[in-house]
Amino acid sequence: MESRELPLKHQLPISKIEKYWKGLEEGKVYKTVCSCGREYYPPQADCSFCMKETEWVEIDGVGEVEAFTVVYSVPKGFEFARSYTIAIARFGNVKVMGWTEKVKVGDKVVLKTGKDESGVWKVYFEVI
Amino acid sequence: MRVGVVGVGCTKFGKRDITLQELAFEAVSEALKDANLTQDQVDLSVVGCVGTRSYELMPAVPVNEYCGFSGKGPIRVEAACATGSAAVYTAYTSIVSGVVDVAVAIGVEKMTEVETSVSLAVGGRAGNYLWEFHQYGTTFPAYYAMHATAHMARYKTTEKQMALCAVKAHRNAKNNPKAHFQREISVEDVLSSRYICYPLKLYDCSPISDGAAAVVLASEKVVKELNLDAIWIDGIGFSSDTSNMTKRDGFVGLKATVDAAKMAYKMAKINPSDLDLACVHDCFTIAEIMAYEDLGFCKKGEGGRFIEEGESDFGGKIPVNTFGGLKAKGHPLAATGIAMVYEVVKQLREEAEKLQVDLKNYKALTHNVGGTGHFCWIFIFSR
Ligand SMILES: CC(C)(COP(=O)(O)OP(=O)(O)OC[C@H]1O[C@@H](n2cnc3c(N)ncnc32)[C@H](O)[C@@H]1OP(=O)(O)O)[C@@H](O)C(=O)NCCC(=O)NCCS
Ligand SMILES: [Zn+2]
Repeated sequence: MESRELPLKHQLPISKIEKYWKGLEEGKVYKTVCSCGREYYPPQADCSFCMKETEWVEIDGVGEVEAFTVVYSVPKGFEFARSYTIAIARFGNVKVMGWTEKVKVGDKVVLKTGKDESGVWKVYFEVI
Repeated sequence: MRVGVVGVGCTKFGKRDITLQELAFEAVSEALKDANLTQDQVDLSVVGCVGTRSYELMPAVPVNEYCGFSGKGPIRVEAACATGSAAVYTAYTSIVSGVVDVAVAIGVEKMTEVETSVSLAVGGRAGNYLWEFHQYGTTFPAYYAMHATAHMARYKTTEKQMALCAVKAHRNAKNNPKAHFQREISVEDVLSSRYICYPLKLYDCSPISDGAAAVVLASEKVVKELNLDAIWIDGIGFSSDTSNMTKRDGFVGLKATVDAAKMAYKMAKINPSDLDLACVHDCFTIAEIMAYEDLGFCKKGEGGRFIEEGESDFGGKIPVNTFGGLKAKGHPLAATGIAMVYEVVKQLREEAEKLQVDLKNYKALTHNVGGTGHFCWIFIFSR
């Protein structure tokens, strides 16, 4: 027997992190930093430790890949892609997740932003 | 005050065409029978269920009712794949606090009610939805695959070494009637299976399984009064880590495991070398290799060599996952941590039949990870 269908599609509340999403559309990737010295990526408007408001700072320069995988068994919601590569690269004090072409651990990368086929903005790495 | 495990039950894992509560009932009835107790002698029930892949969204009460525990709790617990251990901890602390004398911890999960792509999309939400799944389509295999590429790059760990974990798991599961898979596989089978998330292949992954497990815990006072047969909880360790992978220091181990292990060894006043066996969280083969290192069975980076040299097999330094592991026995999320307690209790009572390990110190460890080191729970038991 089948159950009744329950479609779950949520409204994502992004008012406190709107600058990040606007930034992606302008080709910029932001982290947040607190006067206590902590840096946040993904960015957050509040410092979890000293409870102060953080400031927005653009991430740029060259990053280094620390881990990656190529996803072949694609989850629901990503049917538009046959496979994709996810990597994590370090840029100074923060690490960033992104989609990329062929990479290996230790590769140097720069940041790009873009939209995937389902219209979601994200970070892409370009291997240099 | 000491707390003892006085009864254990575990269903057959695999695709099971019965409801969540019917599944839980199988484990609970076995555990109560094993303890020689009845429902009215139980003061509290704790129901662990992740529940994100099954139709009953608030399952604690239906499970409790079907198992005959209405009125005794339930407390529902969720800690991703470590839910079962969190349920055991909740039952344990309720007894230690003196509020109750006998508590049951139930872990039950139905994972096969949705299709694989939905299961992957749910598992991929086990980190931080907005910054990981929403943008990048992370999946559970993907999280561990990223640890695998980092481990391979740093320590020259190979796909073949990872494959050996799967081969050992399937070889052991063949003799475990409760296991999802009861067939042996070869290194070649693993290496030639399709990539799920590079470098993890089909046979590097635990399957999508249904299952339940239950344990009955009792205070030392009750154990003595009723003359019950108890396996004692000597040590407990727990820790957690960030939801976002990007906020971790590195990807060659799980910090939550290292910290939880330290806490558990200290409480039990033992070293890893005092253990006769261990059940570790091998949801993916790389997870088993990292567990050897993070639990202190070998040095960081030597996990690949540890499996290669048979150190985690029968007769090795420490037999690990003699029950077939999550890899081959199956990994019905909330059932897993409690099923590990079931396996350890059978071993320490010397009732593990073909899978029995030689015991010297009568001490064993369970290691249950939620998410990718998002949670970690460790228990040390003795007879
Ligand atoms: C790896 C995975 C994606 C494979 O699922 P799938 O592509 O739907 O595989 P199928 O169900 O089509 O199985 C194909 C065959 O492989 C077998 N199989 C499936 N998963 C297996 C596994 N993990 N190990 C060994 N054999 C497996 C099936 O029994 C089936 O065999 P059959 O053809 O003889 O019946 C799935 O098992 C998975 O997601 N595992 C990880 C679960 C997880 O993430 N758990 C962590 C907690 S969130
Ligand atoms: Zn601060």
